[in-house]
Amino acid sequence: MKGTNIGEFQEIVLLAVGILYDNAYGLTIKDEIEKQTERKVTLSTIHAALNRLEDKGFLTSRLGGATRDRGGRPKRLFQVTAYGKKALEDSRAIRNSMWSLVPKIAWDNIS
Amino acid sequence: MDKRPGPPKMADLLLRWFCRSDLLQEIQGDLLELFQRQVREYGLSGARWRYFINVLSFIRPFVLKKKRNSYQKPNIMFRHNLLLTYRSFKRHKSSFLINLIGLSTGLACTLLIYLWVSDELNVDKFHEKGPRLYQVMQNLPLADGAHTTEATPGLLAKSLIEEMPEIDDAVPAAYPMAGRGTRGLLSFKNTHIKANELYVGNNYFNVFSFTLLQGDKDQVLSDKYAVLLSEEMALKLFKTTQNVIGKTVTWDRERLKGQYHVSGIFRKPPAGSSAQFDVLFTYELYFDEYRRLHDWGNSGPCTYVVLKEGTNVGEFNEKIRGFRKLKLKASWAPSNPGEVFDNSRLDRIGTLFLQRYSDKYLYNRYENGVPTGGRILYVRLFSAIALIILVIACINFMNLSTAKASKRVKEVGLKKAIGVDRKTLIIQFLGESVLMAFLSLVLAIALVLPLLPQFNEITGKQLTFGFDTRLISVIVGATLITGLLSGSYPALYLSGFKPATVLKGKIHMSLSELWARKGLVVFQFTLSVILIVSVVVVYKQIGFVHTKNLGYNRDNIIYFAKEGKLTEGLATFLTEVKKIPGVIGAASFGHNLTGEYGGTGAVEWEGKSPDEKIQFGNLEVDHDLMGMMGFEMAEGRMFSKDFNDESSKIIFNQAAIKAMGLKDPVGKSIRLWGREKQIIGVVKDFNFESLYEEVKPCFMQCYPDMHKVLVKIEAGMEKETVARIQAFYQEYNLGLPFDYKFLDDDYQALYAAEARVALLSRYFAGIAVLLSCLGLFGLAAFTAERRLKEIGIRKILGSSVPGIIFLLSGDFTKMVITAIFIAVPLSYFITTRWLAGFAFRIDLEWWFFAGAGLLALIIAWFTVGLQTVKAAQINPSECLKDQ
Repeated sequence: MKGTNIGEFQEIVLLAVGILYDNAYGLTIKDEIEKQTERKVTLSTIHAALNRLEDKGFLTSRLGGATRDRGGRPKRLFQVTAYGKKALEDSRAIRNSMWSLVPKIAWDNIS
Repeated sequence: MDKRPGPPKMADLLLRWFCRSDLLQEIQGDLLELFQRQVREYGLSGARWRYFINVLSFIRPFVLKKKRNSYQKPNIMFRHNLLLTYRSFKRHKSSFLINLIGLSTGLACTLLIYLWVSDELNVDKFHEKGPRLYQVMQNLPLADGAHTTEATPGLLAKSLIEEMPEIDDAVPAAYPMAGRGTRGLLSFKNTHIKANELYVGNNYFNVFSFTLLQGDKDQVLSDKYAVLLSEEMALKLFKTTQNVIGKTVTWDRERLKGQYHVSGIFRKPPAGSSAQFDVLFTYELYFDEYRRLHDWGNSGPCTYVVLKEGTNVGEFNEKIRGFRKLKLKASWAPSNPGEVFDNSRLDRIGTLFLQRYSDKYLYNRYENGVPTGGRILYVRLFSAIALIILVIACINFMNLSTAKASKRVKEVGLKKAIGVDRKTLIIQFLGESVLMAFLSLVLAIALVLPLLPQFNEITGKQLTFGFDTRLISVIVGATLITGLLSGSYPALYLSGFKPATVLKGKIHMSLSELWARKGLVVFQFTLSVILIVSVVVVYKQIGFVHTKNLGYNRDNIIYFAKEGKLTEGLATFLTEVKKIPGVIGAASFGHNLTGEYGGTGAVEWEGKSPDEKIQFGNLEVDHDLMGMMGFEMAEGRMFSKDFNDESSKIIFNQAAIKAMGLKDPVGKSIRLWGREKQIIGVVKDFNFESLYEEVKPCFMQCYPDMHKVLVKIEAGMEKETVARIQAFYQEYNLGLPFDYKFLDDDYQALYAAEARVALLSRYFAGIAVLLSCLGLFGLAAFTAERRLKEIGIRKILGSSVPGIIFLLSGDFTKMVITAIFIAVPLSYFITTRWLAGFAFRIDLEWWFFAGAGLLALIIAWFTVGLQTVKAAQINPSECLKDQ
């Protein structure tokens, strides 16, 4: 399991890339995460995470889609790789199995 | 273009600077998009502010540039580039040679000029107290503005030390009364040597950093009759420098003749010192002998001061301005009871100011009391010439490289297609030009070494090519800059090709590129034409100076000092000398007609208004001098032995008569220093100073026994006659060395700087023109080669050889003509300014400019013609047979 370990923030970034599918680049990912988690993230944090995830092989990217707002500069569009998908699935599987192991009574005393 | 307001430029630059280039685009894009959104959300300033913060937040390890690309092996690239450079040199031999010759000549000139300039700049810079060492200068009020002199009152140094708290030390130094550069006679037993002396205060070695080899620097000059010898003098006089302290030597110098004892030995001042002397005597001796220096109304010696640390020179200058006037008034004592001080006397007294001693050599010309350059002008002129030559050589390199670009575009295209980025290509081309520059440097050094002796002869210096760190760093720096400068344009230009178009075989000849190349040629020729005009003007002016009728004839006249037995009376000697075959005349004279003369304002004449101040030059001559030297009289007669009592007569020059406003002067009387003198003649104006100066009022008095002897020799017999005079002199004067000079040499020495500049600028201008032509030659050769097919087709279609030559030279002609039109007004401006420094100067003639332009054009045609004629005569079948 060692290779596919990802942190919480990285998981969120990967999922956001998944949600955005064909339009996942720095700015839209930042928007998506802010929308979903309701917390502020800086653009450079996103870029750092994307860079790291691509290095690890969870993401792949291509250039494309320059617009006027960007001063004609291309976007780097990201896509989740099969390896990335597996990492997400692993992460979810661990959670699920752990969730299922928590006895129901443990939650009862918590409102 | 996007006209909306953008993000802060500074932030963008910052990002570019630190960000990895492969990430830059996307990050910039995201940031910009965010920025546009935030402009709508927060307004422009808010967005800009946030943009800045965002950029800063990107300073993270993953974004930062990496030091080195791991996929580039620098060693391999270097060897590869070296190989390619070698091949391209080999393939384009002619342009390689042109570049090599051009750059190495340029560098050699620059090197020589650098050696000279740095030598000039270092004069007088070696004194330890240099930053605080100043010379006191004096501005004398004359009718036509202040005249600046280094002569100061004899008591000045002493009074300054006593009364001015800002003064750390002050020392007087007096040149011999007979004039600077004249030599006295030093004897020990039967050895006689001529020596340049200086009379200095006893703290001289504390103020100046000359090296004392023997003797204590505080003690050597404390005895009034002490003498210090240079090492060379001591060796010549005693054949040794051991145990010479305390020995007694004889010094024969007019009133200071006597016995002196050696108290110390010093090392001769280095070549980088403007003060040069062989022996030193005490100022005390000089001061006690020449009593007139005790009066604040007279000036003579130079005064040097060392200021205390932190003294403000400007303020101190204000303080000493009127110092001499104050002292004069304070020291005045009535000679008759009831007499009061005449305040109007103060108007004729000069004001004092300080000039930094180390600046004095370079800033040695004054106008109305203010330093206005001098040698520094030549230093600047030559620095500019060095730069111009180097730039011309660089332009040649640029032009040829870009012109040859078509031959290298395929290499560039291919490299780019396989992924070489632009930076690597720029480095490659720059490396090529820098390598070229260093190759040229080797050649340049090989050129400079054998040329240095000749260069030294022209410049009158002893420059050596010593490899110290400073020289090396300057050379390497200059070469590197040359390489980068000449490589910059080709590197940027060649590396900018688009691989697709290049590999398709299309070479775009953009308009701007053509303009740039033409512009460079025009620039080169503009500089060349300016140089040609300047050289012609300098040459003409110097020639004018040398041949100008000065109002007297200075040819074939030798002079020497009155010494030994001659001091006992000249009459017999002069009579005897005149009998020597080949001698036309002999006379005695007190001055040298090249700027050395006495001056006075104490002339009273009828109708003189009390506030009139005219400074007169005072030339003392004997009966025969004026006739011998061919002075011309406007009115009246010269001094003559046929009349008695000539000492009560006086002769003025025309300028003096005009200044005084006298009508029918001959026969009238004036009062000079209170004595009545009768005017017997008016001499036509003649130059008794350099031609930088207008002819000033002057008078001549008859003193038959002055301290110089002038002998006029028959033309064509100089050598034999001088030998005869020498033999006679030595017989008459008991073996004293016969030390004579030609009067004309003195005159030439006045313009030595100009003569040197004229000669050097002629060489350098020649080189500059040659270099320009070399570039043009290369360019013409290249154009002809590229248009070979066109020429072939034209010939087949019936074009004549002259027609083709005309076609090919047309472009170049236009460029050169443009250059001439730019250069003429510029050179007119420059030469007019230079000539303005001379009171007697040539007029600028139209043909100087037309001639220079025509010369440039002819040279250009000739250069281009060599190529075009060859190209035009080609057999069309030869150039059209392939393809």
